[in-house]
Amino acid sequence: MAGNRKILIVILNAAIFIVLEVAALSMLRNNGELQDTWVLKGFHAFYASLWGKTEQVKYYFSLKKENDRLAQENFSMAVRLRHYMDMESEQMACAADSAVASAGRYDSTYTGRYSYTAATIAKISNNRQRNYIILDKGSEDGILPKSGVITAKGVIGIVDAVSRHYSYAISFKNAGMTVSARIGMQGPVGSLVWDGIHTNGAILTEIPHHLPVERGDTVYTSGFSSIFPPDIPLGTVGESEIVDGATYEIKVELFEDFRALRYVTVVRNNGQEETGQLTVRQES
Amino acid sequence: MKINHNFGIIYTLLAVAQMVICNYFRISPYLYVTILPAMVLCIPLKVNTAWTMLIAFITGISVDFLSGGVAGLNTLALVPVALIRYPVIRAVMGQELQDKNDRISIKTAGPVKVLLAAILSTALFLAIYVIADGAGARPVWFNAARFGVSLICDSLLALLIVNVLNPEIR
Repeated sequence: MAGNRKILIVILNAAIFIVLEVAALSMLRNNGELQDTWVLKGFHAFYASLWGKTEQVKYYFSLKKENDRLAQENFSMAVRLRHYMDMESEQMACAADSAVASAGRYDSTYTGRYSYTAATIAKISNNRQRNYIILDKGSEDGILPKSGVITAKGVIGIVDAVSRHYSYAISFKNAGMTVSARIGMQGPVGSLVWDGIHTNGAILTEIPHHLPVERGDTVYTSGFSSIFPPDIPLGTVGESEIVDGATYEIKVELFEDFRALRYVTVVRNNGQEETGQLTVRQES
Repeated sequence: MKINHNFGIIYTLLAVAQMVICNYFRISPYLYVTILPAMVLCIPLKVNTAWTMLIAFITGISVDFLSGGVAGLNTLALVPVALIRYPVIRAVMGQELQDKNDRISIKTAGPVKVLLAAILSTALFLAIYVIADGAGARPVWFNAARFGVSLICDSLLALLIVNVLNPEIR
């Protein structure tokens, strides 16, 4: 009770003090030009500080929106880059491609052999032997099964099933998934699989042992897969050992941190069906 | 709230004296002679902080309007002195004086403690007064010099004011 009374007295004193000081400041402002400017300057500094702080708080709460915007911008630039890389490698200055690219429709964009769609991860599992990813884009957004899921720093997975608004993808961190990978831009090609232990560890197999392999070399997608485009950096070469006296088994440290994933790109090979049919016809 | 009539009269006369000082005793730009902090310090301790602030406000505003200076300067500087009066007295002279609702006097507290309390109150008053009076237009060294010279003079003057306002000594 006494404590409450003390608090009440303190609040009352503070209120009276503020009222009296504000009254004195008002008088000061009205009676001295210098003081008027000085008080105004003080108020302005106070306002600036106050609004600066509120802007900081506002900025903090708008970070998600800002991240989404940056991811979209990043995606658009990646698509443009891939488009120019395609043009350079294939020596095809395709007028239709340029028209599509310059139209700025990058939410789902066609760049030559591949079309790209930006997506956000709705759910991801990382701690199992067979991990999965659920994306926030589905059939209504043009996503089809057997599309690749990539980022600028690696291969993330393959779309397995699609609903209207969501897609289910098998993560690269899955014991049964392999990706065709190449050491360097011109080096030998092998199969990259998750090592099953580390979150950023993978193993590159089937590399002939007579070819030189340098520790620290970058591993890229080969482009031989019908799902992933070539030259996506995946990781760097680590320790290697010869298996069965014939091939290297190389440890690869992946660039992408699967635990910090949020924004991805779904890539679709437009010639996938055609090449598939061709293969089936030849085999039969 | 009952204040001794003699105290009230002397307090009012001292306020008038302050107006006279402000109007006629402008010795140097480096010196601002004020007895207001000492007057507020001498208000009987039975008067609580809220009332002390109101008395300080009225005193300040009266001096401001009748001394022909920038209105609000003394008021702005004097109200904080009233706010910190109890903490200063408690810190310098101890809780006992406050519990007895006694008045500050050189006899009960000793000249050193009274001087220390006067220095603290006057320093706060002068800090606010000098800064607000300069309004950012005067150099720091000038403000510092004015503060230092005024503090020495006003603190010594405060001993005299405490002596005048204290009925036990008279």
